[in-house]
Amino acid sequence: MPLPNTLFNSAFQHQRLNWLLISVIAIMVYLATFAMTIEAALSLLTITWDQSVENHMTVEIPALGDETSMPQPERIKQTLAVLHALPDIQSTAIVPDQETAKLLKPWISDPELAKSLPLPTLIDIEIKPGSFSSAQSIEERLKTVVSDASVDDHASWLSDLLHLIRDLTFLAAFMLFLSGAILFISINLICRAVMATEKDTIELLHTIGATDNDIARHFQHHARRLSWPGALFGFALATLTLGLLSFALKYLPAASNIPAIQWFGLALLTMMVPLVAVIGANLSARFSVLKLLHNMP
Amino acid sequence: MLLTLNHIGLRYNQNRAVLQNISFSLAPGSFHFLTGPSGAGKSSLLRIIYLAEKPSEGNINLFGHDIAKMARHELPALRRQIGVIFQDFRLIPHLSALENAALPLRLAGAREDYIQRHTSELLDWVGLGDRLHALPSSLSGGEQQRAAIARAIVNKPKLLLADEPTGNVDEESAMRLTHLFNELNKMGTAIVLATHQQDLIQRLNKPSLWLKEGRLIAPFPPSAKAA
Ligand SMILES: Nc1ncnc2c1ncn2[C@@H]1O[C@H](COP(=O)(O)OP(=O)(O)OP(=O)(O)O)[C@@H](O)[C@H]1O
Ligand SMILES: [Mg+2]
Repeated sequence: MPLPNTLFNSAFQHQRLNWLLISVIAIMVYLATFAMTIEAALSLLTITWDQSVENHMTVEIPALGDETSMPQPERIKQTLAVLHALPDIQSTAIVPDQETAKLLKPWISDPELAKSLPLPTLIDIEIKPGSFSSAQSIEERLKTVVSDASVDDHASWLSDLLHLIRDLTFLAAFMLFLSGAILFISINLICRAVMATEKDTIELLHTIGATDNDIARHFQHHARRLSWPGALFGFALATLTLGLLSFALKYLPAASNIPAIQWFGLALLTMMVPLVAVIGANLSARFSVLKLLHNMP
Repeated sequence: MLLTLNHIGLRYNQNRAVLQNISFSLAPGSFHFLTGPSGAGKSSLLRIIYLAEKPSEGNINLFGHDIAKMARHELPALRRQIGVIFQDFRLIPHLSALENAALPLRLAGAREDYIQRHTSELLDWVGLGDRLHALPSSLSGGEQQRAAIARAIVNKPKLLLADEPTGNVDEESAMRLTHLFNELNKMGTAIVLATHQQDLIQRLNKPSLWLKEGRLIAPFPPSAKAA
């Protein structure tokens, strides 16, 4: 049996340094689990959105044409005729009025009122993969028969959204980095405090022939011993919060596009956070102590 | 030579010199007192010898190794051949006398049965045979002293350094300790014993290193070299 690993127990208990360490790790793991989940979920969303939106455009035929023009059903018929004549179009589908009304729901909550409004007709078109038809060129063709038709390829709002997601992803990554940095700094400070109170014990250990590694190992032991409960507690709390949040997220259509297998991957990735925190605490203690010992004679 | 100091100087953080131009050698199995008034630098000199302090000037040759030329990771092996008795004992409060004394053996990776047997025999020899499992807080000052001595010699060091070992104990305990050190020295351990108690020095009749204001004032007695 090597040296008893209780040598620095009292110093870690002194002034509740052990509770400080447990709390810091719990908070960091809580934040990091959150950041990690956001990070992973966002990348999944970007992938699925990219795939589902890429080949689709939406044709909008406003309900109120000028009085001289033809009635709405005729306008729709003519539009479809032009669309079907285009070589690059795979399929078309008229969005039912109820669906269109639903899109208004966030702005107009009364369904009766929404129904009474003159809704535009939306036609979802799917472009053949690999074709280069732009929304603009299709719109020009449509305008020859229906002058106020417009085509939206989602590019602008999608790129806005993707920007937002990229910013959020960056923010989450930055949060992960910060959690790591704070973890290291806290452990470094705690090791300093313990080494200062146990200066004599450390000199004694050196005197009886302990290597810097022997001494660092004691601090690593304490870092592991205290970071486990902290990491598990922080992780459990984060999972609980995320569970509640995902209740709300479930009703996001985009989230339901993510296949179950990828949710599983996400969960696995998130479970790495407490593990990485414990390993990180261990390594931080080792690095800090070796560095501090090196400045001693 | 076991230990040679050449023109050792020491100053703590750019302050005035605590030690100046100290040179002497110790032969294997020798016994020296290190004496001088309070603040003369006795503890500082011992710290330099057990490699807890780097001298600002000069060099040390310990067990045939030039310390300045050694890498940090090579020092623990040298330190294991030195036993140190601290003035404040430095026993670990939550470990028994036996466990405290066993620390150097555990560090060296000795076998458990050897550790138990050797350490309890040694504690018996210093007169703590019936207090093996007592915590330091339940030991008297003299008993703590002896547990600290047991720890210092459990590894059979070539050189034993003791800083004021008789400073805090009564006359009778001081006598017993002196007897212990004499026995150890007869078994071949070189000893440097820092003290300012002149009666102790006279009683044992061993050579002394005299420090005053950081300088070695008494010339090294020729008789000591032969010791
Ligand atoms: N860590 C330190 N930092 C700064 N100065 C120190 C330090 N340790 C000792 N000194 C100074 O060095 C001088 C020598 O101290 P040292 O403890 O070596 O003397 P000593 O001979 O052992 O005294 P005593 O008999 O009182 O134990 C003193 O003036 C002391 O104030
Ligand atoms: Mg002293």
